[in-house]
Amino acid sequence: MLRKSFISLPRLSQLCGVQRRFQTTHAARVESEAEPAVTADSEPEDIAVIEQKILKHPDYFNVHNLFTVRDLFNARVHYGHKEGSLDDRMRPYLYGNRLGHLIFDLDKTAAHLRDALNFVAHIAFRDGIILFFNRNALNSHLVEQKALEAGEFSHTRFWRGGIFTNANVQFDAVTRLPDLCIFLNTQNNVLSQHTAVRDAAKMAIPTVGIVDSNCNPNLITYPVPGNDDSPAAVELYCNLFKEAILRGKRKRRELLGLPPLEEKLLATRRQRKTK
Amino acid sequence: MAQSRLEKIGTIFTRVQGLLRAGAMRPEDKPIWYDVYAAFPPKAEPSFDRPAAVVPIRNIFYKEDVTRAKLHKQNKPSETISLFDHKRQTQSQQFLQIYGELESQGALDDQKIYETALDLLAEQRQQNKTSQTQNFEESFNEPVVEHKSQLLSDFQVAEIKPPAEKTKREPKDKAAGVNIESLFKD
Repeated sequence: MLRKSFISLPRLSQLCGVQRRFQTTHAARVESEAEPAVTADSEPEDIAVIEQKILKHPDYFNVHNLFTVRDLFNARVHYGHKEGSLDDRMRPYLYGNRLGHLIFDLDKTAAHLRDALNFVAHIAFRDGIILFFNRNALNSHLVEQKALEAGEFSHTRFWRGGIFTNANVQFDAVTRLPDLCIFLNTQNNVLSQHTAVRDAAKMAIPTVGIVDSNCNPNLITYPVPGNDDSPAAVELYCNLFKEAILRGKRKRRELLGLPPLEEKLLATRRQRKTK
Repeated sequence: MAQSRLEKIGTIFTRVQGLLRAGAMRPEDKPIWYDVYAAFPPKAEPSFDRPAAVVPIRNIFYKEDVTRAKLHKQNKPSETISLFDHKRQTQSQQFLQIYGELESQGALDDQKIYETALDLLAEQRQQNKTSQTQNFEESFNEPVVEHKSQLLSDFQVAEIKPPAEKTKREPKDKAAGVNIESLFKD
């Protein structure tokens, strides 16, 4: 499935009017310099310079106003697993233990989630490829749908080893790996961690991940402690990540002087294509 | 492109930093996340061997838990609770509210407060029941106006429809010029 999505990548990006994404990340910057004169007139500054400039702003994409702690509470983000399955590395993120059930400290969750959303928005602004992961059958359709709506990719099925680490052989071509992996849950099942967490760390791909009280947050670059099982919680995360990605993309097109993204049109068109 | 696949050593940032510093990776091959990571580093270093913090987990208990435990031990709970209903209070919540009010008045001892609160709760429930049945009767007498198509209303419509269709069909049969009853006369 991933293979298909990567092959159809140039076609999709043409559809949504984005300039083609190149194999290497630095080529994208060269390409933006060589854009038509209209762009250069309206925006004399080079995109690379802008990218450096917006890093000085603490919250350039205003991701802090995407959600409140009350939203997290209503989406049941604070529920952890039972105390017996606790991973000791999750201890600092917990608020307490209510009659055997672990409860997350939502203030800490909110701070981590805002960091993660900011990072996601910056990667989207730099035209990075973002890949959503989820191994919970209940939520997989939702995740795929939201990834589509954001104009990004998802992988919610069994992970064949080597998709990242042996990509050039598996896909018979030089493959551009994603620039960011978002894990809506980091476990394959209750016992084992998703192999892509390790593989992403191997290939120096940053990861954002929702870690429940039975997960290991160490290899996740931006861990977000919270409930990863409830559909309500997963829907909230998906919406937040989607909105952060779209904010990054919109800002990029605005600064480059390109026409704005037609998000709804894009989603329906892609749906028709996949059918 | 040069890279290090040893995910157990350092972090993705320190590994790429090392490659850049040693000149194994050219500055223009730098991954796009590198500057973002440098500007907004995560709160904890994402290294494989980061030791777990030794933090005790406290138990969450409230003052009213004692009373609640007493209530549930002595009275068998008999209500069904919808977890999606945030408006209505459960019986034990109502009980605790009454209990708190009585306790703040400070005239009685614990056992007395408990008993009076139970009595008051029963009284309150009785009142609610009577008022609810009254409300129900009132609403039943009012003509029901439904704008939205709901499952219930669809069933109601479906129940009403068949006789209406029958009456429509009769003139059609007559127009065809065949009297069905006459066919089976003999």
